[in-house]
Amino acid sequence: MKTSRRRIVINPQTRSIPLENVAPTRPFRQAPPPKEIIIRLQDVSKIYPDGSRCLIGANLNLKRGDFIFITGTSGTGKSTLLKLLYGEETPSSGQIYVNGSEVHELKGDHLAKFRRRIGVVFQDYKLIPNRTVAENVAFVLQAQGRRQQEIERRLLPTLKMVGLAHKADAFPDQLSGGEQQRVSIARAIVGTPPLVLADEPTGNLDLENATQILRTLENLNTYGATIIVTTHDHHLAGLSGKPIVELRQGQLYWQKR
Amino acid sequence: MLQILTKLRYLCRETLSGLQRGGWMNWAAISTVTVSLFLFGLSLQTSWQLDALLAHFGSQLEISVYLQPDISGQDVIDQVQAFPTVQEVRVVSKEEAWQSLLYELRVADPDYATQQLEGNPLVDELKVTAYSPQSVPNLVERLTTLPQVDYCVYINEAREQFEQLQAGLSWVSLSLISILSITAIAVVTTTLHLIAVARRNELEIMQLVGATKVWIIIPFICQGILFGLAGGILSLILITTLRTLIAQFLFTEQEFLRFLTEQLTLTSLQMSLLPLILLSGGGGIGLISSYLALRRLALR
Repeated sequence: MKTSRRRIVINPQTRSIPLENVAPTRPFRQAPPPKEIIIRLQDVSKIYPDGSRCLIGANLNLKRGDFIFITGTSGTGKSTLLKLLYGEETPSSGQIYVNGSEVHELKGDHLAKFRRRIGVVFQDYKLIPNRTVAENVAFVLQAQGRRQQEIERRLLPTLKMVGLAHKADAFPDQLSGGEQQRVSIARAIVGTPPLVLADEPTGNLDLENATQILRTLENLNTYGATIIVTTHDHHLAGLSGKPIVELRQGQLYWQKR
Repeated sequence: MLQILTKLRYLCRETLSGLQRGGWMNWAAISTVTVSLFLFGLSLQTSWQLDALLAHFGSQLEISVYLQPDISGQDVIDQVQAFPTVQEVRVVSKEEAWQSLLYELRVADPDYATQQLEGNPLVDELKVTAYSPQSVPNLVERLTTLPQVDYCVYINEAREQFEQLQAGLSWVSLSLISILSITAIAVVTTTLHLIAVARRNELEIMQLVGATKVWIIIPFICQGILFGLAGGILSLILITTLRTLIAQFLFTEQEFLRFLTEQLTLTSLQMSLLPLILLSGGGGIGLISSYLALRRLALR
């Protein structure tokens, strides 16, 4: 397959990276047709055993290549919504389809393989302290059973993409909060998933670092990845100019498209 | 081929990583497996040795017939030889027996010892061999009725005692091994569980990025098996060392002890079986422990 030669600029502070060195395979190289539905929530409710209600008959359709923010105050269920999408939680009622699969029906190896097509960025980073940046990122591919050659091929371009190639051998505790979050992003995207879910990726960061993280996610989106970012910061979401869905009292409300 | 190498490399790395997390708990796990397998191996080896001893006794159809004092073996030999179930009769004179005893007891001055005991205290003995083991009890009964005979000793009595000893030992060792095996499994399970808890972040991330359940649990199973194998190897070293030391200690010119020493030697089949049994026992303990430890992990 012939690859395009266009170049992208991630951030004024980071280097320009040729596309062919960044995202090795689909879907980032070629944006797929934008009309395909990648996420569908139908009357989804989530009620915990203690009676707390996170979602009540929520509906949402997202197309491939979309980038949305999900906002809401703390405790409204933003993280739960993402967990439902990657199958860590099961809905009390309703259906959730992601990449054409009904998520709560998936178990065992099917669930594992489904998750390989989703990149998750955690608010608390979830980095492994005794592994270097490169090892943390490569760990995903190792856990998926990828070959060493492929791991090496993907690792450096991904670290370059998040501007951390020079810190490949550093340990997480030697990095700032923003850098740790970028490692978390690198880990989420190194397998080039078509869907990236970021749970409060800017929650612990200052404005400069938060903006940098969002730019990285926007760049991913330009390669065709569908991005969902949860945040309690309406202002930050508003600055990006991307559509915002507000989670309020268990319902999802589109604010801007 | 590359895929297999990748998997092997992953397994080695993750297993090593788990062992590093284990620290001293690794040693606790290995040492309990070692003690358990050591006792198991020792009782198995003892049981083989007792079997060999019993088999050896079983092949002996010989009855020792001790005569009354002042009765010569030569006077009775023809009478005994005439019994239909007797295959062979041999006389051991009291002088011959006395010399043999003095030699075995390493008495420096035989004449002095004889003088102290006011002469040779032994009696003449007939070594009677029967045609078949079944005929031995009847033959003994008939020999005992002879007026020249004081008493008879035949191997069935010793055999019965050995069998009772073996049965007793089996029960004691079985109980001990059961308790220790359960302890070993509990310790290895706890060790693996603690390692899993220490690595819960990694396990969670592995699950979330799409590692299959098998891919996650195999390093733990490898760790459990490694604990078991290490315990098996250590117990084998201990058992072999102990056997060699006992054999060296018992090596003597005394006939009975020399006979015992010979019975301590395992056959080549047993020498090959013992390591195999210990290693598979260790592997089994490791496998069961890994299964139990992982069952407690909530992997979806």
